[in-house]
Amino acid sequence: MGDGARLVTAPTGQRVLLDGRRVTLGPQPLKGGGQAAVYPVADHRQIVVKLYREPPGAEQERRLERMLTLTPLGGRPIGPGQPPELAWPTAVARGAGGEFLGYAMRRFGEPGHVQLVGLFTRAQRLRLFPERTDWRFMLGVGWNLAFMTARMHYEGLVVGDFSSNNVVVDANGFVTFLDCDSIAFTDPATHEEFPCLMQTADYAAPERLAGGPATRQSDDFALAVLIYQLLTAGNHPFGGVPRDSESETTVKDNIAASRSYVAAPGCVIVPRGVVDPTILPPALLALARRAFGPGVTHPAARPQAQDWLRALDEERRLARVCPDRPRHSHGSHLTTCPWCARAAVTGHDVFNDTSPTGPNPSAASAASRQTKQMHLMQPVQPVHPTQQKRRQRRREQAGPPSRQAPTWLPDTGRPLALGLTILVAVLVLVIVVNLAQGH
Amino acid sequence: MRNERQPRTLPASYADIEFENNAQRLPLVLCLDTSSSMTGPPIQTLNDALRSWTRELHDDVSLSYSVEVAVVTFGGQGVCAWRGAQPLPPQVPVSPFVPAHAFQAPVLGAAGVTLLTEALELAVRIVADRKAELRAGGLQYYRPQICLVTDGLPTDGTGRWTNAWQRLVPTLTDDQLARKYRLYAIGVGDISDMGEQVLKALAPAFNARLHGFPFRELLQMMSASANAEQRGAGDEVFEKIFAQFRTQRPAWEA
Repeated sequence: MGDGARLVTAPTGQRVLLDGRRVTLGPQPLKGGGQAAVYPVADHRQIVVKLYREPPGAEQERRLERMLTLTPLGGRPIGPGQPPELAWPTAVARGAGGEFLGYAMRRFGEPGHVQLVGLFTRAQRLRLFPERTDWRFMLGVGWNLAFMTARMHYEGLVVGDFSSNNVVVDANGFVTFLDCDSIAFTDPATHEEFPCLMQTADYAAPERLAGGPATRQSDDFALAVLIYQLLTAGNHPFGGVPRDSESETTVKDNIAASRSYVAAPGCVIVPRGVVDPTILPPALLALARRAFGPGVTHPAARPQAQDWLRALDEERRLARVCPDRPRHSHGSHLTTCPWCARAAVTGHDVFNDTSPTGPNPSAASAASRQTKQMHLMQPVQPVHPTQQKRRQRRREQAGPPSRQAPTWLPDTGRPLALGLTILVAVLVLVIVVNLAQGH
Repeated sequence: MRNERQPRTLPASYADIEFENNAQRLPLVLCLDTSSSMTGPPIQTLNDALRSWTRELHDDVSLSYSVEVAVVTFGGQGVCAWRGAQPLPPQVPVSPFVPAHAFQAPVLGAAGVTLLTEALELAVRIVADRKAELRAGGLQYYRPQICLVTDGLPTDGTGRWTNAWQRLVPTLTDDQLARKYRLYAIGVGDISDMGEQVLKALAPAFNARLHGFPFRELLQMMSASANAEQRGAGDEVFEKIFAQFRTQRPAWEA
């Protein structure tokens, strides 16, 4: 921040009361949206305060007061090293006269937590996520998102304003939902209903664009879009412009008009460089086509979070790793690496910076050795249909699984991975010793 | 988990639509007065603000995903479009828009006349051209934002005050009504009452006369507005953001 810039801003920020305790906010908001701005708190790095731009009404105050009495998703196991799953309000923020201004919550900022949208371009993925971030990671994040949606629906919460900005991801692919003050819920103690009043156009189902309330089905729509974006490295299923090229068309317009190239190929001029939808394994593609075809106008036809969860689960176990390039992995339905094929045709590698000034090739080859090891590790077990059905039924009865899963390795892969690492280390040692003796 | 690798500066010849990103785009044009009245601390403040705003833009995962920035300046002997830090020679068929994550702030100097009319015409033209390019690539765009900033009155090439800006009014009015872009017109420094009237005529919805040179707040307001655009907010939200920006005047005077 330049000195000149400092001169024109107040040297210290606003003072607010959190549970009656006075804190000083940073002079500059971390993030400013249309309705509110989020401020850091001096001497309390782990929390932030969201202040509404306009005096929020009594209803919003009541909502926050009630939220503070609840602990949704509480009292159940979360994985080791996993951050809280919701940035739930921790205190109401008031002015000196006791007036309601906003609320405090835990801080989920960079570099530890990155907005989901950060996974949608190569440049940001390479800059903000671990070196080995690949398609399997995206698959795992999709699973965690579906899991969280299922879990929240199970507890009677509706995300409502579900978007790539309101969810953050950590280095292990665990997700946390932000902006919980817009969640729709019914107070279990008083039975008051608090609807969701916010939405983000690019993720809003048509009935929400038309002014309807947030529902589980509108969450299912946003979830489908987000999972599709994850699995295609960022492509929005309602991208593209209609063929009469004069009209100005946004994602929102395409959603409202039910125009998705995923469900109806040829209905728009697709964005150049679009990833072919068949990159999705068949079961997942079928869900996507349902969501972006009949599901657009018929909310009940949309796949639910549970459906995604099951399909993603299957695919997580089967995903393949490309032996040729680092960070290339893909669905088990493809026999050759689609990312390599795409790089060959377009010159652009979706996961690797292949420009001469990109990361050095030695790092890439090191990563490539690693992916080869992981390749051996993939348990490729064809599942018998009846067996699969039985398993599915068992899962349905059990409700959603109880926790998010780290995205790096399937649970069963861990001992195997360790074993293989040791094996490879021994082999390398033997080779090195042999070479040394050869001289 | 941030990997400290700076975004590389792109050569001017770089194919101008990023292949790897087909997100809906948000074109943003900064149309800045760099005439002689901006000499000294004002232009210095502007350069500082541009630099820190650029840093914030790079760090904003969401904005840098879809915002693309072009700069148009009016000062010296004429108007100039910048592609990031590089001034583009006139008539060069290269888009001045740079993806936000690769944008580098130009270092501006102040001198010469105030060809505000021509600059605004250029801004409107590059926005229209950009839309056509994006559409041809099958890419969607949010409503573009043009931010005009001046501390004086429009002049002609000899530095004389001119009424030529009035020829823009019908087109600008129609375009804004047709939602082709949002035009923000901001007067700074010692802009006169007459200067303010010009801005009001050009941008009836979003005009302001600010004391001093609060460029940093101004650029932050553009970011907040871009953020609202990404959410798909209604007009009232933009008015709210702008109103709040306008009413913070006393703090800047200090």
